[in-house]
Amino acid sequence: MNPGMKLFLVILIALEISFTENLVVNLILIAVSFIYIIFQKISFKAFLALIFVPLLPAVAMFVSQLMYGTAGIGFAWILFTRIYAYVFLGATFTLTSNITDLALALEQDFRLPSKFAYGVLATFNLVPKIRQQVKIIKTSALMRGEVLHVWSAKLYFKAILSSIQWSQNLAEAMTSHGFVEDAPRTHYKVIKITWQDWSLFIGSIVAVQLLLFFIRN
Amino acid sequence: MAEVAVNNFTFSYAKSNFMVLNYVNVTFPANHFSLLTGPSGSGKSTLLMFIAGLYPSFTEGKSKGTITFDGKNITETQPQEKNKMVSMMFQNPNQQFAMDTVFNELVFVLENINADPAKMDQTVDNALNFVGISKLKNRKINTLSGGEKQRLALASIVAMDADVIVLDEPFASIDPASRVDLINKLKLLRDEHGKTIILADHDLSDYQNVIDDFFFLDPATHKINLQNQDQQKKFYANFEDAQHITTKVKLPEKTEKEILNIRDFTLDPHGDVLLKLANFSFYKGKTTLVTGHNGIGKSTLFDALTKLLKYEGTITYNGQDIKKIKPLKYAQSVTLLFQDAESQFLNITVKEELDLSMKNRFSAQYSDDEVKKMLAEIDLANRGERIVYSLSEGQKKKLQIIEMLVMAPPVLLMDEPFKGLDYHSLLVVGNLLNEAKTKFGQTQIIISHQLNGLENLVDYHTHFANQTMKYQEVL
Repeated sequence: MNPGMKLFLVILIALEISFTENLVVNLILIAVSFIYIIFQKISFKAFLALIFVPLLPAVAMFVSQLMYGTAGIGFAWILFTRIYAYVFLGATFTLTSNITDLALALEQDFRLPSKFAYGVLATFNLVPKIRQQVKIIKTSALMRGEVLHVWSAKLYFKAILSSIQWSQNLAEAMTSHGFVEDAPRTHYKVIKITWQDWSLFIGSIVAVQLLLFFIRN
Repeated sequence: MAEVAVNNFTFSYAKSNFMVLNYVNVTFPANHFSLLTGPSGSGKSTLLMFIAGLYPSFTEGKSKGTITFDGKNITETQPQEKNKMVSMMFQNPNQQFAMDTVFNELVFVLENINADPAKMDQTVDNALNFVGISKLKNRKINTLSGGEKQRLALASIVAMDADVIVLDEPFASIDPASRVDLINKLKLLRDEHGKTIILADHDLSDYQNVIDDFFFLDPATHKINLQNQDQQKKFYANFEDAQHITTKVKLPEKTEKEILNIRDFTLDPHGDVLLKLANFSFYKGKTTLVTGHNGIGKSTLFDALTKLLKYEGTITYNGQDIKKIKPLKYAQSVTLLFQDAESQFLNITVKEELDLSMKNRFSAQYSDDEVKKMLAEIDLANRGERIVYSLSEGQKKKLQIIEMLVMAPPVLLMDEPFKGLDYHSLLVVGNLLNEAKTKFGQTQIIISHQLNGLENLVDYHTHFANQTMKYQEVL
């Protein structure tokens, strides 16, 4: 499916279940996503993480609703499953799309300015460098006798300074590689929205509406 | 083919009347390989950025005069037309790419110049083949070594196929063999593809029989002059001499007390082995100079010594494995003076920076008066309220050195501490370092290309080459 469309589909469904309280639909969404994910080649470790990482926030939601909420155990279960539905829906997107294809789709099919699409992509590719930079900032601070924590303002100040520097360099590099803002570009990989994409998109949305309409708790 | 003419060109930074380029008039002939040299910081990069059409849009500085390609003013040319006229390769291999993989980056370049998608595969393969990295086609750019990244940058330029190729110190982070190879590729681009090549470098090795024209940006006049054969010979000879200063230094005695010991050690951050050491020591209370070619891995060794980078083997500090020493304690014992001064700064003003060092220093070796005296000696007195990021590069470097001397760590690693310092400042800093060593017993390990003026400071010299390091008897 077109990555851009898939992203919108996932966001739409996630929004919808945020405003509805339907345990069965949550469970169905989890089950469908689960089956979809199983058919993708994902590592066992990633799979376990998918199941256990959301457990803590889900249990926390459940317990706090049970102890302090007024809506009872039914609503607590809805909150619990909602967390899992979010995570599994998200996973159907992240496990099957890569950021490059998403950027290409947003540029070609959704009229996102190419400056934005490639800027985001370039930033994304900078992530490993940002991690190393944070390590350098922390070590450099230790050498001055200061321990910087995740919540230290100085860490962010230095990190932001570095990013400003990098973004300038990146813009220069993109320009020197021929990139011109708002100018027409050719496309090696053409990502189209096909009629299958549309039918899958509309089909899924309709299916969720029907489920929400017919299945009452 | 295009001839690049620079006419009455001036440049000064925003809020400054100092002319970095002072009515420069120079012509880079079509289909020639022109070398532009001059000390670092003399304005070579600035001029190249203008030639490549990246400035004035990416600078706040002020410029006057024109740069023309066969008579056409580059600043008045449409961006897409400019793409056909000139492309540029930068010094820093880490910030030249927007995409994730080698292939995607080249496709990005071709899409930008509106190439026909059906021909892209062929163009990409040709470009990769030309620079000799066909094997890397599907590799993630993040996993490439510095030399491989620079090859990719050159492949991008080959794919763009612009008439004029501008390169700013493109070999600063690569090994000598790649350097020779890439210079030969540039020669091929000139001879077989009719390109005009303008390259800035302060390192003159390997150019002598390749280039057509030799230009010098004179730091005294801020003008560029073409050098004749005799003048060129002098430049090459001076450069050779500077590489080999023959001051005798001693080899470490067996009785010398070691402070850092490196054992069964392998350093291979990107899969390429940079350094292998069976057993190597740095010695207590001594100043050791580490030399070796650009990009060979000297700074990477410092990264390992400061635990910024993973390594195989064991490093001990005073007999204790550094992996077992607590981060804060170790960072205050073995401290790095970063190559980039800004990496060292944590606060906003000069005063805050110095106060931080005074507050957290390892031992109180300098009194307030002595610190004041040190600041006066390097012309940083009465600048307490200045914002550190607004200081000049030289001032930043000097402030950085003072604040790290005040920190007084037992071991101070210094990565190119003299970069951007004038000769007077260099001598002052050399004296201060000498004092820290003789009075307070500090161990100093210095990476430096600059050897002049260090004769009285350095005790031992170790040379980094062929993936190993050995002590030498000459400086």
